[in-house]
Amino acid sequence: MDEFTLKKLKEIRYERQAVEKGYANRTLHVDLSDGSIAVRPVTAEMKEVFVGGKGFDLWLLWHAVKGSTRWNDPENALCIASGPLGGTPIYPGSGKSIVTSISATTGSVVDSNVGGYFGPYLKFSGFDALEIRGKSGVPTIILIDGIEQKVDILEVSGLPEEAHEITALLTDHFGRGRPRDISVVATGPGACHTLIGCLNFSWYDRQRGKTRLKQAGRGGLGTVFADKGLKALVVRWDKVTVSTNDPADEASLKLVARLHSQEIVEQDPKQNHMSSVGTAHLVTIMNDYDLLPVRNYRYGQHAEAARMGEDVFRQLFDKGYDGCWIGCTLSCAHCVKDFVPVSGPYKGQKVLVDGPEYETIAGCGSNLGIFDPLFAVEMNFYCDTYGLDSISVGTSIAFVMDCFESGLIDKKASGGMDLSFGNKEAALELVHQMARGEGFGCVVGKGIRKMKEIFADSYGADRNLMGDIGMEAKGLEFSEYMSKESLAQQGGYGLALKGPQHDEAWLIFLDMVHNFLPTFEKKAEALHWFPLFRTWFGLCGLCKLPWNDVTPADNKQTKEPAKVMQHVEWYARYFSAVTGREVVPGDLIAMSERVYNFQRIFSLRMGFGRREHDSIPYRAMGPVTAEEYESRVERYDGQLKTLYDVDIEGLSTVEKVKLLRRFREERYEQLKDAVYERRGWTKDGIPKLATVRRLGIDFPEVLAVLKAQGAA
Amino acid sequence: MVTVDGRQIEWREGMTVADLLRELGDSYPYAAVRIEGHVVTGPDFGKAEIPDNVEVCLLPLVAGG
Repeated sequence: MDEFTLKKLKEIRYERQAVEKGYANRTLHVDLSDGSIAVRPVTAEMKEVFVGGKGFDLWLLWHAVKGSTRWNDPENALCIASGPLGGTPIYPGSGKSIVTSISATTGSVVDSNVGGYFGPYLKFSGFDALEIRGKSGVPTIILIDGIEQKVDILEVSGLPEEAHEITALLTDHFGRGRPRDISVVATGPGACHTLIGCLNFSWYDRQRGKTRLKQAGRGGLGTVFADKGLKALVVRWDKVTVSTNDPADEASLKLVARLHSQEIVEQDPKQNHMSSVGTAHLVTIMNDYDLLPVRNYRYGQHAEAARMGEDVFRQLFDKGYDGCWIGCTLSCAHCVKDFVPVSGPYKGQKVLVDGPEYETIAGCGSNLGIFDPLFAVEMNFYCDTYGLDSISVGTSIAFVMDCFESGLIDKKASGGMDLSFGNKEAALELVHQMARGEGFGCVVGKGIRKMKEIFADSYGADRNLMGDIGMEAKGLEFSEYMSKESLAQQGGYGLALKGPQHDEAWLIFLDMVHNFLPTFEKKAEALHWFPLFRTWFGLCGLCKLPWNDVTPADNKQTKEPAKVMQHVEWYARYFSAVTGREVVPGDLIAMSERVYNFQRIFSLRMGFGRREHDSIPYRAMGPVTAEEYESRVERYDGQLKTLYDVDIEGLSTVEKVKLLRRFREERYEQLKDAVYERRGWTKDGIPKLATVRRLGIDFPEVLAVLKAQGAA
Repeated sequence: MVTVDGRQIEWREGMTVADLLRELGDSYPYAAVRIEGHVVTGPDFGKAEIPDNVEVCLLPLVAGG
C-alpha cells in the first residue's frame, strides 16, 4: 500500500439539514484560492426554474464566471449536483451526478453526466450542489463528511497519479472499515497534460471488493479539475434507504418504482441484454446498418466488427451485479476482471477495467481500424485511469491516423510513429505519451480543433480537407455514430448545446431506418422534444437508459413508440411522488425547456451559441472523398438521381461528390431553420425575447446578454 | 414450432425472419430480432433462417447511447 500524508488546511463544521422531498436545500461553495468554504440556501426560485442537477449547476456557474472567463481562469467553477430524484435506491437509474464548467476543449459551457455514488452522497450529506472555484497551490483534497458534518480542505502528498489507485486508497483511508460509505472523484496524469481530461466517479463494489469507476468524460472537465490543483473530492455518507431522500409520497414512489424495475427484469433479457452486456450490444447492430464508425468515420461497416460484438464481451465481462447506483435493475456498468495490459506502467499486472462500453469499443476500436476486443479493453483502462475522455481520445487518434494516411502529416510530425490505421502499438503509445506529457501524444491531447491549426501552421496541411475530416464541432470531438445518412442525427450532433455528443438526441433509427421523420417539420419536432426530454434526466439526477433501452412489451402499439410514453408517465409520477409537485408528462418538457434555453443563452454569453457554431464537418454529412463515394456508389448515385433529379451520365466521381455535397449542405441549413423556428429561436439560433418571456427566464442578466447580441 | 414473444408459430424448413414477420402480419418496422438470444438485424432478415423450436424476440427499437 502506498504511503500518503494529509495536512488539514481548512475545516468547517455544519449542521446537516435533513433532505426534504428530494432537496437538501443548500449548496456548498469552496474557493481553493483563499481556502474559503461557504454554505448557502437553495431558493424557491431555483427549484421552480432550474429544478436541480444541471439546472442548479448552470445557475451557480452563471454567477461564477464572466463572458470573458477562460477555462483555466481561477473564477471558472466546477459544479457537481445530483437532483431531486437522485439517490432513490429503488427506482432504476437514480444515481447520476451532473458536472458543468467552462470547457477546456470548447471554451463554452459543458455538461457531462456520470454514475457512481458521489452526487447522491453529496445531497444526503446536506448539499444539492457543490461549486468549486479558485486554484490551490498545493495538491488538494476536499472532504465532505456528511456523517461528522464537516468539510475539510486537505493538502495531500504521496498519492499515486492514476485514478484507480487514488480512488482505492482514499476509499480505504476515509472508509474506516466501511468502504461503501465513500465515493471519490479523481482524474489522472493525462488530464494534467491534455485538454481532454475526464473525471472518474467511484463507488465501492462489495461483491468484488473493489472500487469501481464511471466517467464524466466530455469537454475536458478532468483538465479543469487538475488545473485547480485538485487530486480528489471525497464524500462520506452512511446507509441509504427509500426514506433518506424523504419522498413526499413513499407509497406512490414504491408503486411506480416497482413497475419500472419489474419491467426491466422481465424485458431486458428479451431485448437489449443491458444487464449482461451493457451498451456493447450496439456494436454489431450499428455495423449491420452501416453506422459503426470505421477509419475516422469514412465508412460505417467492417467485416471484422463481430470480433468486438456482444457475444465476445459477454464472455469477457465478469459476472455479477453491476449497478452504478444502489438498486438499479438495469445494472449495465460491466467490468473485465483480472485484465493484464500488454503496455504501459501496468503491463503484466492484473487490473480491473470498468467497461468498455459501446463508445470506447467503437472510438478506440473500429474508428482506428482495429478490431481487437482486448485492445479496446486496454485503451479503456488507460484512458480511465489516466483521466482521459475515451471518446475524444478515439476520435482524435482517428483524425491523426487519417491525416497520416492522407499525407497531411508524416513521421516528422508524429515523432517517428507510423500512424497508419490499425496500428495498435502507436495508438497505445499516444495515450501513454498523453499521461507522461511528452511527444506527439501531447499534440493529440489538445483535441482536433487545435490540431487542425497546428498541422496547418507547422506542416502546411490542407485546412479545407482537415475541416472536412476533423470530426469536431464547437471544439468537441464527435461521439461514435455515423450520421451521413441521417439528416436528423446530423442535427442531433450539430445542434446539441455542448457539441456533438449523442446524449441530446439519438435519432438515427427513427430517421434513417424507420423513416418516421420524413419531413423537415417532423425532424425539427424530434430535435425539439428529444433533447428536452433527455435534458430532464440531467435536472433530476437520473440515467436515461431505463427510459428507452428497455421498453414495455406493448410499446410498439402506442401512438409514438419512440417516446416510450408509458415510461414518461411513470417518470412524471416518480417526480410527483418525491417532490410533492403534481406534474404530468408535458410539465417535464416545460422544466427542461427553461434550462435548455438558459444554457443556449449562457453559451451566447461565452461567445458561442449562434448559427455559425452549429456547423458540422462535411464527413458527418456525406462522402468527403471519391473513395468514400465509390464505396457506396449505388446509394449515392441513386440519391442524386431520385432525390435530386440529377442526370449523372458522364459525370466523374469527383463531380458527383461535389454535387451531392451541395445538396446535403443545403438540406442541413434548411434543417437548422426548421429547428430554430420550432425552438422559438431567431434565424441566427438565438432564443427570441418572446421565448425567454414565455419560459419565465427573462431575468435582467439574461436580457442583457440578448441585448448585447442585438436580439432584445 | 417457433415461439415469438409468447406466441406459437408453425415452423417450416428454410423459414427466414422476413417470412416469420410476414406470417405474423405485423407491419411494425422492426430493426432487429433476437433468436435464442442472438441478434439478427434488418439487413439480414431475408436470409437469416430460423431453426425449429427456438424463441424469437422482436426488438422494435434501437435506442442508442
